[in-house]
Amino acid sequence: MNILIAIGGRDYSKPTLDLGMKIANSLEASTTIAYVGKKVSQFSEKDVSVVHQNLDERQLYRPGVRTLEWAYDFLKSKNYIQEESNDFNDHLLVDEENSRMRVLLKGKHSNKIDLILRTGEIIEQLRSEVQTNNHDITVIGGGKNKGMHHDLVQFIDSSVLVVKNYSFKKKYKVLLPVNNSVGSRNAIEIAEQFAKANKLDVEIVTVLENKSSDDNLKKILEKTGKRFSKARIKNTTRILEGPVVKRIVQSASDDSIVMLGVSPKNPIMKYFFGSKPISIAQKCECPVLIAK
Amino acid sequence: MNDSYKIVSSSILYWFSQKKWFLFSVLTGIFLVSIGPPIDFVNANGEPNIAGYHSLVILLMVFILVTSQPIPFPAIALLALVLQVLLGVAPADEVASSLMNDAVLFVMGSLMFAIAIVHQGLDIRLAKIIIKIFGKSKRVFIAGLMFISAVLSSFLGEHTIIAIMLPIGLSVIRNIDSSKPDGKNAVLLTLFSIAYGTIIGSIGTPSGGARNVIMINYIREFSDVTIGYWDWMQYAYPILIIQLIMAYFVLQFAFPSSLDNIQLQGYKKSVAKSNSATNIRHIFSSIIIVAIIASWFLFNEQFGLGIIALCGVLIFMICGMVSWEVINKNTNWGVILLFAATISLGFQINDTGAASWLIDKFNMMISSFPEDSSFSWSFMAIITGLTANFFTSSATTSLLGPMAIELQPNNIAFGMSAAIASGFSFLTVISSPTAMILYSTGLVSVKLFFRIGLLMFASSILILYLMSEFYWVML
Repeated sequence: MNILIAIGGRDYSKPTLDLGMKIANSLEASTTIAYVGKKVSQFSEKDVSVVHQNLDERQLYRPGVRTLEWAYDFLKSKNYIQEESNDFNDHLLVDEENSRMRVLLKGKHSNKIDLILRTGEIIEQLRSEVQTNNHDITVIGGGKNKGMHHDLVQFIDSSVLVVKNYSFKKKYKVLLPVNNSVGSRNAIEIAEQFAKANKLDVEIVTVLENKSSDDNLKKILEKTGKRFSKARIKNTTRILEGPVVKRIVQSASDDSIVMLGVSPKNPIMKYFFGSKPISIAQKCECPVLIAK
Repeated sequence: MNDSYKIVSSSILYWFSQKKWFLFSVLTGIFLVSIGPPIDFVNANGEPNIAGYHSLVILLMVFILVTSQPIPFPAIALLALVLQVLLGVAPADEVASSLMNDAVLFVMGSLMFAIAIVHQGLDIRLAKIIIKIFGKSKRVFIAGLMFISAVLSSFLGEHTIIAIMLPIGLSVIRNIDSSKPDGKNAVLLTLFSIAYGTIIGSIGTPSGGARNVIMINYIREFSDVTIGYWDWMQYAYPILIIQLIMAYFVLQFAFPSSLDNIQLQGYKKSVAKSNSATNIRHIFSSIIIVAIIASWFLFNEQFGLGIIALCGVLIFMICGMVSWEVINKNTNWGVILLFAATISLGFQINDTGAASWLIDKFNMMISSFPEDSSFSWSFMAIITGLTANFFTSSATTSLLGPMAIELQPNNIAFGMSAAIASGFSFLTVISSPTAMILYSTGLVSVKLFFRIGLLMFASSILILYLMSEFYWVML
């Protein structure tokens, strides 16, 4: 499994990195940490490139390398990287393809962590990264740009974890809304491994909007509860009634990590009218994972 | 739902979301072409001026595409050329012949020359000189960075000088703790001093920016007036000096700092090391650069600025000081093609009478205002200055230049002012290579650049107005 963690400024990226690495470790996934630099106008792209080459030759860090260095040190300080590793004073930048550079550290370091610099529009760059390297989950910080959450879920071909208001000190529980979609089955899979590895409680819910779906959803809820109990994960099951988005947002507290499946709706309909998982990700004030 | 259907529809949606401005521009073009020109837009025979109207439609499409950049620049350039022929603006041969002139050669030559210069690693040599002259105090050093950036940028162009000066700036601030206000202000003061120096400097001589050469070509074509290298300097250099003084005080006011954290001593030691091979290379490069600048002064009317810039590249390549691979890799061919296409379009807009029609409309619009050329001057200068901030200066000059000249064909102050005002790229980070490079460091935000730039932009327009009104008339 491959996980992509997109980071920006140091001030905002700690929670994203921390939760992203927790997920990666619980799924035993290899991790790519990507810094996406500012989009450069076509007028100046070659000028910027020449300046960056010049900075490399002068051993002045080009933009983004310092952030990756900080991210690497942060992971070491939190023991996410166990191996004895080299520092950034001896790094090598490898231009792999258009807009993508890999940071190689000389000496012994974790093979499971890749450090990548990209430049350009964030959705375009993350989409390209996921397509090229087959990432299964993309982790990104939850800013106030709700349109970006929508575009991420819409256009990135992986599960998406939006990290909002995450605190290291807080004890979290997983809120797992289930239904009969493929995405929901994948969410259950991820939630099981994540909760087991981090010893978290799980609250499994299903929302009944109309009576025709009652039995099927109740069965899925019951089956999921049994599955988690069998895996020795402390869990509760609950049936909610009413509008799906409203009820799930109400159930999510600030110590929840919501994990749910992507909508099976037609992508064109989703683009113009949105979807329930996207609305939940936008409205919840806690981390939300939408599994594909 | 079928997975392949989902993938295909998602990919199509993504394409549409990325290309929405391209589609908007095409639909706008189709709509405007289908409704035809306004009744009063007629040619010399009194018939509807279809060619002129279509040239303006292409101008609008190019403007939308260059501003939003949904497709690569070479594609925009090719579209502009193809449409000129397909929509009957000009025959293929005429479009082809208007594609290349000295201004385009200058854009090409100056971009290549910049790469050749930057490749020589002259920043270390320059740093030694700056420290020697201005190294007595940190505040004087920062002022020196700004001054040297401006002077060099006025001759060699801002894209060359920012690439050389930025490593010097970043070296002296590399260990500053920018989490504290004093340290953060020291970082910003250093970076902005270099950036404003290079931006302001680019108005100083014709070779400071492609827009200057483009305007010189337009003025020669449309007003039959030849402006030499020295003539331009007489007009523009005093403005440059006043702007520099203004920028110094604006930055000191905006970023008050003790500059305690600037590592001048450490940097002095690090640049002191040198070897004789590098010294010889630097001396030889400096001789080539000085020879090219001297040639711009002495022979620009005879050979053109573009050919002289290309001579510089040629010498660097023949002497083996830069390889074709390095030049080819780092030259922005898309920009060269785009300038060629927009300059060609600029000529067609003038030749078809579209520029005159637009100016008539503009004059009608301002007829209700007091009859004063100051008003039309101010309007033109502010419009070109603002447009350049959202569209880049050279592209603005190549498209709006003919109209600025047409406002007062016998007064070159209008054309000169348009070119100079379009160099006031203080407002947006997309307006110039300097601003973009500064922004790409991640140390300067869009908002901060705009906030400081607003004051600089307003004061620069005022300085330009006062100089054109009271100083240029004496020349």
